[in-house]
Amino acid sequence: MASFELICPAGTLAALRAAVDAGADSVYVGFRDETNARNFPGLNFSRKELRQGVDYAHARGKQVFVAINTYPTAGNAGAWHRAVDDAADNGADAVILADLGLLDYASKSRPKLRLHLSVQASAANPEAIGLYRDAFGVRRVVLPRVLTINDIAKLNAEIDIETEVFVFGGMCPMAEGRCSLSSYATGRSPNRNGVCSPASHVRYETRGSKLVSRLGAFTINTFDEEEPAGYPTLCKGRFTTHDKASYLFEEPTSLNALHLLPDLKAAGVKALKIEGRQRGKAYIAQVVAACRDALDRFDRGQSYDATALDRVTEGGKDTAGAYGRAWR
Amino acid sequence: MNDRTNFRGPPERTMETLFARLALTLAQPLGGRLIQPVLDLMMSTLARRHPDAFERMAELGEADLLVDPVDLPAAFLLHVGERPGLKVCDRATQANARVRGAFASLLDLFEGRIDGDALFFSRDLTIEGDTELVVGMRNSLDGEDFDLAADFGALFGPLANLPLRRPLTSLAGTLIGLHEVLLAPALRRLEQVERRLGRLEEGKR
Amino acid sequence: MSNTKTELTLGPVLFNWAPEVWRDFYFRIADEAAVDSVVIGEVVCSKRTPFFAEHIPAVVERLQAGGKQVVLGSPILATTVRERDAVRELVASAGDFLIEANDMGCVAQLGGKPHWVGPFVNVYNEATLAWMAKRGATSVSLAGELTESAISALATAAAPLGVDLEVQVFGRLPLAISVRCYHARAHGLHKDNCRYVCNEDPDGLTVDTLDGEDFLSVNGLQTLSHTYVGLTHEIATLQAMGIRRLRLSPHTADMVAVAALFRSLADGNLGAAEAREKLLAIAAPAKLSNGFFHDREGVIDTAAG
Repeated sequence: MASFELICPAGTLAALRAAVDAGADSVYVGFRDETNARNFPGLNFSRKELRQGVDYAHARGKQVFVAINTYPTAGNAGAWHRAVDDAADNGADAVILADLGLLDYASKSRPKLRLHLSVQASAANPEAIGLYRDAFGVRRVVLPRVLTINDIAKLNAEIDIETEVFVFGGMCPMAEGRCSLSSYATGRSPNRNGVCSPASHVRYETRGSKLVSRLGAFTINTFDEEEPAGYPTLCKGRFTTHDKASYLFEEPTSLNALHLLPDLKAAGVKALKIEGRQRGKAYIAQVVAACRDALDRFDRGQSYDATALDRVTEGGKDTAGAYGRAWR
Repeated sequence: MNDRTNFRGPPERTMETLFARLALTLAQPLGGRLIQPVLDLMMSTLARRHPDAFERMAELGEADLLVDPVDLPAAFLLHVGERPGLKVCDRATQANARVRGAFASLLDLFEGRIDGDALFFSRDLTIEGDTELVVGMRNSLDGEDFDLAADFGALFGPLANLPLRRPLTSLAGTLIGLHEVLLAPALRRLEQVERRLGRLEEGKR
Repeated sequence: MSNTKTELTLGPVLFNWAPEVWRDFYFRIADEAAVDSVVIGEVVCSKRTPFFAEHIPAVVERLQAGGKQVVLGSPILATTVRERDAVRELVASAGDFLIEANDMGCVAQLGGKPHWVGPFVNVYNEATLAWMAKRGATSVSLAGELTESAISALATAAAPLGVDLEVQVFGRLPLAISVRCYHARAHGLHKDNCRYVCNEDPDGLTVDTLDGEDFLSVNGLQTLSHTYVGLTHEIATLQAMGIRRLRLSPHTADMVAVAALFRSLADGNLGAAEAREKLLAIAAPAKLSNGFFHDREGVIDTAAG
């Protein structure tokens, strides 16, 4: 049996096919609206596309999960309920939820639907996770990116639930689902609108030989001519404290935990997740194939190339993030 | 796999760039009236063959995107919305947003062979104006499996039946002849390119 | 308008104040401030707790003597065994004190006992509020990014559930929490060897943009707004919706004066415009903001010209 299940992102049907073809065990997607945390223009699935994606994946023995992981709006939760219903009716193998009220709705109205707890719920200890399991029958939890491998091992030893962790892609330095930095600057919120540092509020300006990236009314970074640029995600910007400019929160970097496969296995992790539903299918195909190759080699006891993805990381840099204590 | 050039897909695209540069060079003195019917035909063909992508584009609202290939003599203005359109324009044309890069990169991006984010991070692509429009376009196109060679191969039928004047036929042939050239093995392609260029230059004289 | 009197809650001190300063702050609040409830406890960083722990009994006693309800705040993030044990101990030893739960792990450990829910637990809609009420929540302090329409819908739902709602009306707004310490990082230090540099900035460390514009404020693991939330013209609307409590978040500014100001405002003895002028002076050089309430960028002050 394989050591890990490989969970891959898709923002479009073409990306879903690319992920399945490249070796995904499961693909996670979202609907084209505010019900998911990658609500970007031109991205995501219609109901018809979900059905086509599910058919494509199932025909190849793979699964599709639907992320409905934003927090329903007070007085207007209909879109979130319909998303749960339509995901179930179109053959989704699981839904990935964060909101207590929505979990309550899903567990009562769709008792057979498999529930996963989204990273956006920020359930970071066994007590919290146990509550979601006992109250709603949640089967798997996507662990927030604030835990060390040690924390994860202790957690798995203590509680009987499948755990899924991020292995590659963009990473939040903040606890997910508990961050209002982007909405403070733009008025559009990851929790409410499903979008962090929205493109609608991003502007690139040229000032002399420098490229300036702005979010809302604020300068997030400037780049010299030859310097690699970054998207102005607020927490990966350059700011000034004590008159010194620095990447105060996090450098433009990607999480890469491929070199930790033995530790993640020893820690009892069930599934590895790749971040990036907003990325193009060319990127998806390459990242999924590289992870598949690494996982297959790991399963066969062979050495594998943990640096295979170094070239596609943001800013050309990667980090093991919170998995190691040094990151703190 | 960890070779960056592999990831970017075929990086050169010199032939396509050559063709496009030539077509635009020829088209400029003749004015938009010659190249426009070809672009219209290209757009209607794409719309017919990729209705989902055009549906997503329509959702972006009415807007103009200036596509600015730095290595071509002119730029393209792409109108998105209910009735998408493409025309050749001066690179100083006002638009809601502008994407600049090598024509080869822009073509790769259009066909989804390359990751736009990576291009942007490496500064091979610059974006100005309405970022949401650019991201929306990128996502709309990336969700579709475009293959321009195959797409415009479909143009041969209808085009052949159009009562086009000779210069236009040549021009269309240049743009659309991409199809047969791309399908030919690399070495033969070069010969064909050269022959085609020769014919065109002769016709122009 | 609701007949119940609008109450004032003083949220926990979020910053790393010197132990004696911390103690004396609460002594003065106990003696002089027009607040009804006071949430105490270290909610941001478990490394700070030992410093003022010895003063907690005296502070609690003094606050109670001053007629204040004392509520114990739980940590926002509890990931290590030590932090989780601290939450367990808090729940076990709370006795008659109410706990304000700031993460779902604490909610779980409370096991249905009556409690408050802090602004760090996501209660965005009626279904979640109802679920929380069923689990023993009697008061919920709403997340700072909620809009007027969301607060209104929640207030409508809260009344029949018997849950009080609270909205922060003063102080820097908590925006994010991490396991990484940004104060240490700003000083080139690591969290494990942080030298408690967060004690240098009793209202937070100012974070500017590269253009030199004040933007955010760092408090150890926490990131807050640089602006001070200052809801003044909105108070009447909040009262009309049935919001029971207004939350003031402690700063080095004169919190007794801030409490008096909001008491007068809530009682209709002070005009919103005048209250705003006074708050501008209190927050200066930081600016005020109320954008989230008005469904705008949180940083915005809609009352500014």
